[in-house]
This record gives sequence, C-alpha cells and structure tokens, in this order.
Amino acid sequence: MNTAVVSVSRWQRVWGAYLRWTARHPALASLVPFVPVVALWAAVAGAGVFPPAFFPAPIAVVQKFGTLMANGILPAYLEDSVVRLAAGTALGLALGIPLGLLIGLSDRAHRALWPLLLFFQAIGDIAWLPILLIWFGFGLTTMTFVIVYTVLFPVVLNTVLGVRSVPLELHRAALSLGASKTRAVWEVVLPGALPNIMTGLRNGLGFGWRALIAAEIIVGTSGIGFLMFDARRAGSVVEILLGMIVLGVLWYVVDSWVLAPIERATGQRWGLITRHD
Amino acid sequence: MKSLSIEHLQKTYFDPFANRQVTAIRDISLAVEAGDFVAVVGPSGCGKTTMLNLIAGFLAPTGGQIRVDGRAVSGPGPDRGVVFQSFALFPWRTVLDNVAFGPKMRGVAKARRHEIAREYLALAGLAHAAERYPNELSGGMQQRVGVVRALANQPDVLLMDEPFASVDAQTRMTLQEELTRIWEQRRPTVVFITHDVNEAVFLANRVVVLSHGAVLDDIRVDLPRPRAWDALIEDARFKALAAQVLQQVRSA
Repeated sequence: MNTAVVSVSRWQRVWGAYLRWTARHPALASLVPFVPVVALWAAVAGAGVFPPAFFPAPIAVVQKFGTLMANGILPAYLEDSVVRLAAGTALGLALGIPLGLLIGLSDRAHRALWPLLLFFQAIGDIAWLPILLIWFGFGLTTMTFVIVYTVLFPVVLNTVLGVRSVPLELHRAALSLGASKTRAVWEVVLPGALPNIMTGLRNGLGFGWRALIAAEIIVGTSGIGFLMFDARRAGSVVEILLGMIVLGVLWYVVDSWVLAPIERATGQRWGLITRHD
Repeated sequence: MKSLSIEHLQKTYFDPFANRQVTAIRDISLAVEAGDFVAVVGPSGCGKTTMLNLIAGFLAPTGGQIRVDGRAVSGPGPDRGVVFQSFALFPWRTVLDNVAFGPKMRGVAKARRHEIAREYLALAGLAHAAERYPNELSGGMQQRVGVVRALANQPDVLLMDEPFASVDAQTRMTLQEELTRIWEQRRPTVVFITHDVNEAVFLANRVVVLSHGAVLDDIRVDLPRPRAWDALIEDARFKALAAQVLQQVRSA
C-alpha cells in the first residue's frame, strides 16, 4: 500500500496560522500589507541617504500627528474638510438622483439633457476654478460648487444607468398590482437603481474628495488640503506626508464604515450584486 | 357571466427598419366566463404573448376592444393579475411583502395586509418562507410566490404568461398540480399562455389554439377534477385531447 506522508512545510504552517489569525481579526488583515511598506520607508530614512528634513522617518510623522492633534489644528482641519465633503455630497445626491430618474425615465428629457450632461462632465471640476474665483471669490461658495459639481455627474450618469437596467417586468408587475406610475417609480425604479446609485455615490465621493483637496489647496483657509499646501510654504515635508496619510486613512474609513454597510444591507442582501470578500 | 370579453382585437406594429406594418394580432374574439380556466396555445409568433400583454394593458390595441367585468381596458390595473415567466418578484422585498404589495397599493393597513399575505402563502405551502428574500428561494418557490402575489390581490382575471417554462420538469409538474388545486379552491378566472400542449390540456377547461394572430380552434377539455399527473399521464381521454390539440398547433 502506498502510504504517502504529505508533510506540512514550515511556510504552510505560518500561512495557515496567518489565515486563521486574520479570520478572527479581519481589521488586521487590511493593516498587514502596510507593514513592509512602512518598514521599507523606515529603512530608507534610517540609512541616512537623504537629509531628514527632505525625507523624514515614519516616527517623525507619528510625532507630528501627536503635536497637531494636541494643539487642535488637525481635528479642526479634518472637521472642516469632512463637513464640506458631506454637505457637498448631500447636495450632489439631492440634485443628482432626481435628475438621473428624470433622464432615465423620460425619453424627451434624455434627448434634451444627455448631450449637455456629457459636455459639462468633460469640463473637470478644477477647470471651473478660474471662473469661479472671479465670480465667487476665495470662499465657501467656490468650494461647495466644485464638490457638488464633481459629485453630481457620477451620480446622475449611474442613476440613469440603474433606471434603465430595472427589468421591464418588475415595472409591469407593480402596475398590474395596482401601483400608480408615480408610485411605481418609488417602489420599483428607485430600489432597482439603488446598486447603481451607490456606485455613483462611491465614484462621486472619491472624485469629490480629490476635488475638495485641490480646491482647499487653491482657495482654502483651512482643511487638509490647506494644511498640506501651507506645509509646503513652510517646507515641512513631515506635515505634507501626514496630510497624505490622513487622506488615505479617511477614504478607508468612509468606505468601510459608510459605503460598504449600505451595500451589504441593500444590493447584496437582495442578490442584485454578488459579494466578493 | 362574462368576466373577460375580447372583440375583434387587432395589433400591428410599425417596423421602422423594414419600413412596414407588422401584424401581431389579426383578428381575435374571445369570451371567458367568470371562474373558467382557459389555456392559449400556439407556435412561436402566433401572437399569444402579445394578446396577454394587450389584456394586461401593457400594450394598446390598434383595433377592437377588451372588456374585463364590463369595463374597457385602457392600461394596466389591479383587476388583471399577471404572473410572469421571469417571476418578476421585487428583490428588495421579503416574500411576505411581495405578496402584500397589491393590498398595500389599495391602502390596506399593514397588519391586515400581512394577514392576507400569510393566508395566501399558506395556500401554496409557503408559510415558512415569509421572511425570506426572493433570491434565497429556488425557481419553483419563486414562482409559487409569483402566483400567490397575483391571487392575493383578488383580480377579476389572472393572466399567466408561460409561468412554468423556466423551472425544471419535475418542479413544473408539481406546480401544475398545485395550480389546479388552488384553482379548484378559489376559482379565479384564468387565461394561461403556454406552448406546452400537455400543460394546456392538464390545466384548462378550454384550450384556444392561435395561429397567425387569429383563433384557429377552441377545444373543450372535460376531464374530471381534481387532476393529477399520475392518473392522467396514461389516461386515454387525456391522450386523445392532447393529440387533438397538438395536431392543431402543428398545422397552425
């Protein structure tokens, strides 16, 4: 009889232990990939090839984080940026979803508005800044306009796509069960388009966040973008790096604490989008 | 009493690419008694699905008239319940809320409409699935929900568009038997579209054969009820009727 003993290698042991460990603590699984990146960064900084003011070590950024948290600058700037983004996104959704429904449902609205939409989408958010600065000056109006403008297009375009992807039968089923045409929009079109609207929101937030940082760099008097640009003026590479890291972490938080839970509770639950862990 | 009456129904489409009118329904007249079960069969392109969409009000006829319980049809409405081949359940609603949808649109209070929905779900042996979402159910169970959802709205006419065409053969036979049982209990007026001759004869009191947008034949099925496949599959009268209908369909 063939008694092939398959031995478990050391690597398999380590890998197995890692998989079991991250299964128990899923949050850590997304942190582990950063370990070699930070280690490499620390090694290069520690080698002393570049002067610390030009290429600071990770620990310097952590210390800067501590200082800016303690003196309240970072929390205040973070709050300013997040509030601007949230307000701009809310306004973008409030305008974008109804507009998307209209264009998706009405052939006439589609004919009238679609070419305009594509044209204005092409004029990127930042390209509006020169004229906005002349019209509205260096202030909140300009920044809000840029964010709303940036969020609006992905939301509208994806809502239209979502409305058009709702199966005809679902709409007909609602009507033959006694729903009025207006009611059917609320009961069928809107929930049917929701997965696409979420995609629009996700893209809109991503673009909006970038647009906000750009607007803060040019227009701002506060916010993370302003922090980074102000640091450049002072020549503080540490602060610029800190700003960049804050941007990345914040996006991760928005994605996993806001967007992903909504998607789990809607489209994934209903079987409209397949889950991929 | 006539529940559904169709008079000289006609439907033509304009085909902009061929630049001509295409006739889907040439001339159909049909009267269905209240509480009757009529199956409509015919080859692909005979106009049977177009006819159902016209009765449902999803399409507007180019000629003739459709009346349900004396009222002229001018669009979709809750007096005509529809069961779709694709089930068309709302994925974002639980089974219970799918079935309660019709009563909800009528403004029935939540407790009462859930009571109605549970009663109809029990009728199809689905009481246990009430809190689940459609994507968690098999195709056969989804279509049971589809039938029950239409019935729970108590329509004057139940329109079924090849409802069992997309489930497997064994499930189909079970669904057919369940449908005859429910029909005997509740006696809804049913117009059942199918291309399956055996299914038509098994379910219906009348089989209407369509050909090129017109009625070719109207065959009465006086098999005793309750009907079950075990008994009928070798039944001489069933086989003779099925053969008669099949011959008409193939000549259509």
